[in-house]
Amino acid sequence: MVLKSNTRRLGYLLGPTTLFLGIFFLGPLAVMFVYSFLEPGLYGGVEWNFYHWNYGRILGWADSEWEAFDPVYAEIFLRSVRIALTNVAITLVLCYPAALWVSGLSPRRQTLIVFLITLPFFVSMVVRLFAWVLILRPSGFLNSSLIGLGLISEPIDIIFTETAVLIGMAYILLPFMFLPIYASVEKLDRVLIDASSDLGGSPRQTFLRVTLPLTLPGIAAGSMLVFIPSLGNFIVPDILGGAKVLMIGNLVEQQFLSARNWPFGSALSVMIMIVMFLLILIYLRRVGRAGQNG
Amino acid sequence: MRCYELLNYLHRRMIVAIAVAIVSAGAVTFSLPAAAQGQLNIYNWGDYINPEVLTRFTEKTGIKVTLDTYGTNEEMLAKIQAGATGYDIVFPSVHMRDIMQKLGLLYDAKVNTLKGFENIDPVNKRSKVDPESSYCLPYAWGAVGIFYNKAEAGEIKTWDDFFALPDKGKKITMLDDLRETIGVALIKNGFSVNTTDSDELKQAQAWLLERKDKISAFSYDIVSLVQSGDVAAAHWYVGATLYTLQEPDKLGFVIPEEGATMYQEDICVLKTAPNKDSAIRFLEFYMQPEIAALNTVQQVNGTANKPARDLLSPELKANPNTNPSAEVIAKLQIFEDLGDDLRKYNSVWTKVRTAQ
Repeated sequence: MVLKSNTRRLGYLLGPTTLFLGIFFLGPLAVMFVYSFLEPGLYGGVEWNFYHWNYGRILGWADSEWEAFDPVYAEIFLRSVRIALTNVAITLVLCYPAALWVSGLSPRRQTLIVFLITLPFFVSMVVRLFAWVLILRPSGFLNSSLIGLGLISEPIDIIFTETAVLIGMAYILLPFMFLPIYASVEKLDRVLIDASSDLGGSPRQTFLRVTLPLTLPGIAAGSMLVFIPSLGNFIVPDILGGAKVLMIGNLVEQQFLSARNWPFGSALSVMIMIVMFLLILIYLRRVGRAGQNG
Repeated sequence: MRCYELLNYLHRRMIVAIAVAIVSAGAVTFSLPAAAQGQLNIYNWGDYINPEVLTRFTEKTGIKVTLDTYGTNEEMLAKIQAGATGYDIVFPSVHMRDIMQKLGLLYDAKVNTLKGFENIDPVNKRSKVDPESSYCLPYAWGAVGIFYNKAEAGEIKTWDDFFALPDKGKKITMLDDLRETIGVALIKNGFSVNTTDSDELKQAQAWLLERKDKISAFSYDIVSLVQSGDVAAAHWYVGATLYTLQEPDKLGFVIPEEGATMYQEDICVLKTAPNKDSAIRFLEFYMQPEIAALNTVQQVNGTANKPARDLLSPELKANPNTNPSAEVIAKLQIFEDLGDDLRKYNSVWTKVRTAQ
């Protein structure tokens, strides 16, 4: 009886969420999937004819005057993956030591720091990115500080480069790397580390064979959470990259607005989602296996 | 345990964030206050009408006004097409109003029979689909030229001057708009900005690619960077006159000698407008020269209202950018709807933006 009422209660609790996600998350995805196989309408929208050329343009079998295959789309995709991976590496290098340090502080301080890390979410992302334009421009804060300190004599060219995009992305997504790593470092059993050194392990060995494997799930989760939004981001390349560093997100945006080609934009999105889905699958398998071993 | 709780929490958060993004992008059925007596719902570009005009309209007629804004023609079209209702009037560019009329989104307000239409300069009846301005009222127009910082860029007269700046270590930017930026390349190569000839477009593409390294950014948001001198010169709208009048010694705007593009927006009543009477009263109100002048002084662009031009300050009247000579006007090209051929421009634009 108890079990039954629990199941029912679970149903009540999950029902609204499931319904909400079903309508507002899966619904639009289904629309996008269907649109990706339709003919583009002249002024946006779709014509209800089956049209495989949207995928042909990306994957290689379209060669008419209107719908030509162009390797440029694959190139943009690879570039986006490269930028997203670089961003994962940057945020990981910044967050891992920080998380180790924070986990050694008193609980009150830890709470304070976690709060501080989430603080920027209270301000609109676009506003924060424009603040970075002011910091990175030639006469901005960064360059005038460096010149004032005598470290450089000429302003460095950062604004409107890939470096600026990477700075902006790392800044925006840092919390998504920090929080999962912090969570896994924080629950790390310190006794194991002591045991390792008692048994003669050097700090290096202890780190590589105890700390790192135990915090791997946090690293994996953080990497996913940073990689996915980096890949699809189009605001950072627009504002800090001066729209010169074209990423896949910009391409999709361009299709839906200025190009008025909704089906092609949908096809691009579906391709991104397939890649993401495969990545998540690999991730779940790996983490699942690690969990079993642990 | 805590790790997984947090992970679950984060996953949920992410899914919710994505859902929220999709919902807000997909939430296209707007419900504005329905047809009430004395109501007018305006859907306009951001900062594209003097608020004083709307205040005076309400004072005079008792009609309450709401104002929503958009950033691009395409954004507005996408919303209206997707079924956004409740808006009475929109301010599309001429080529976009032609598209909207073809799509049956506009109401025939018989604008040319309304009181005050005699004030409208026939030159501004630019629509191909509606040459007699029966559907829409010509609103405002202006050139798209070069906005520059005099200390950094010196005197700029031509597109060649503009593209010479990067060789002197100065930054230039162009608009993040495929028609505008490809348009400059077409003008420099002596073609129409509405060409659909693939070879001409290829030449324009090659011309832009040669200059890609010189262009620091494709962006609309450069006013503060030109003011600070971080960007020496930018491809921008005549609306920059607002800033050049404030700091005439520091900032300048020029319509390049080789020619430039121009824009014009019209005021149109939507077929789905709940308050068509209010909309028509607004059109008549706006055709009064003193009201059009009131708007032009604040917007510092060109007005379609002929007598309104006489009411402007001598300073604005003599401004070669907001009130160009006939000779300069003859060198300005306006965009037309390209239909399917827009795809050619889109492919050029993708190539230009991806080139390393």
